[in-house]
Amino acid sequence: MILKRFCATWFGAHFFLITAVCFSGVFSLIAEGTTILPSALDKYARKAELVAAWLLGKQAGASSPLRRGIATYLHAAGIQAGYTFFAPNIPGYHKLNFELYYEDGRVEYETPHVHGKAAALRLASLLDRLAETPYEPSREVVAKMLALSVWRSHPDAKRIRAVFGSVTAPSIPDFEHGKGESFQPMFSYDFSLREDESQQTIP
Amino acid sequence: MMPPPQRWVHRLMVFLFPAGTDTWIAVLRIGLGLQVVVYALFLSSDWHDLFSSTGKGLVSRQLGEGITAFDSPLIPKLGWLVALGSSVNIREETVLSVAWAGLLCMGFFLWLGLFCRSAAVLAWFLHLCAAESGGLLAYGADNFMTIGLFYLMFSPLPDRYSLDHRLVKTKPKNPQLLGFWRRVLQLHLCLVYFFGGLAKCLGSGWWDGTNLWRSLTRPPFDIISPDVLIRFKYVLPGLGISICLIELGYIVFIWMKKTRLVWLVGILAMHVAIGLTMGMYLFALIMIILNLAAFGPDFGSVPFAYRQRFRPVFTKQLSR
Repeated sequence: MILKRFCATWFGAHFFLITAVCFSGVFSLIAEGTTILPSALDKYARKAELVAAWLLGKQAGASSPLRRGIATYLHAAGIQAGYTFFAPNIPGYHKLNFELYYEDGRVEYETPHVHGKAAALRLASLLDRLAETPYEPSREVVAKMLALSVWRSHPDAKRIRAVFGSVTAPSIPDFEHGKGESFQPMFSYDFSLREDESQQTIP
Repeated sequence: MMPPPQRWVHRLMVFLFPAGTDTWIAVLRIGLGLQVVVYALFLSSDWHDLFSSTGKGLVSRQLGEGITAFDSPLIPKLGWLVALGSSVNIREETVLSVAWAGLLCMGFFLWLGLFCRSAAVLAWFLHLCAAESGGLLAYGADNFMTIGLFYLMFSPLPDRYSLDHRLVKTKPKNPQLLGFWRRVLQLHLCLVYFFGGLAKCLGSGWWDGTNLWRSLTRPPFDIISPDVLIRFKYVLPGLGISICLIELGYIVFIWMKKTRLVWLVGILAMHVAIGLTMGMYLFALIMIILNLAAFGPDFGSVPFAYRQRFRPVFTKQLSR
């Protein structure tokens, strides 16, 4: 009986956390105004998202034991993220192109690459996250590391320009009319490899 | 007669602790073993690129671990194993290779049912380390693998189909505890599909086929050529709406005896299609495994149950 009560209590706490994470994800989508719901609901969804975040201890200080404890449990159980995959809509995808400049004036074009299909899915996921990140320095760091991975196979390159952008795929009618995808640059970074300095340029 | 609050608690306890068998655990164990093996093999050529430290891999492992540590420094990561290895002069590359080999071995052990509990705990730990260290590179399949392994390591192991049970005759497990862990998995899947379906229903693109078109034509999911896909453009809205309804309705119709088989087949077909048409093999496999473990084994006995039910009738008719 004690074991059953313990299990039932754990069950309550576990599913409370799962539900809070899921609601937080749905409220976040509504608050961003990406759903078919009226925009008047956006501010209420934002408040509801904050309530869900509070329930998950995210409003506590970064070093709060409660926040850390909940976060550790969520990650350990694999329930730290909601289930809003491919929802509510599917935006364009993102590309990171590298322009490699050589001493002799040559320019080569490269993209970050992996060997297997499973890793390619992860790379695509990384690029989509890169577009969403609100913290600019982290985007630059990731772009620099991906540039470094390309540079290892082209050690003679003097300078690498990383151009990150979104790709808008054609809709069904556009495709039928022969229209292809279009690339809109979002950010570009110049990495000078030999001097080990980087500079961001705005497109 | 019990007062209402006690009655509700009693009903809840009856619902949470139904008497069950360990067949579903066997399905979950064998399935997760297969999943872990496939995961390790699929990532074998990129393992070091994905998880090496700054300057050696695709993206620095330390960056992913730093982002994870912002949530909590107590979340397991490969950096712990690398630090442990360096304290005894083992190189990072060797530690990463051992972690990969360990994960592969644990997958085989789970598959065979050898050292079930230890294999489940180690597989959960090693996979979690990899998923968290490559946080920026993780996606849905990693979360569902963690969920499955997390439930498996707490479930009553070993099951009667495992080698552990055959080698060391273990005592039968508490049927109510077996039922409880299955309920947990069943209810978790209900929430997964309910919220997934709800979020899809809130997007206009799922009602007119736009989202299916976009998801099937965007790299790296563009296995089917758009020229082929365009021929089925009138089917896409119907398919999009069906996906929304199957996911949203799962929480209700998977519990009803009359609709359970239809819904389970529908959801499995959806995941098979995701795997084959989008190349998301790991994601498709883990979802199929979780669904079969949660709601599958009951159906193994359905044809037998029907035979039992109709045999006397046929016997009577024949004897007349």
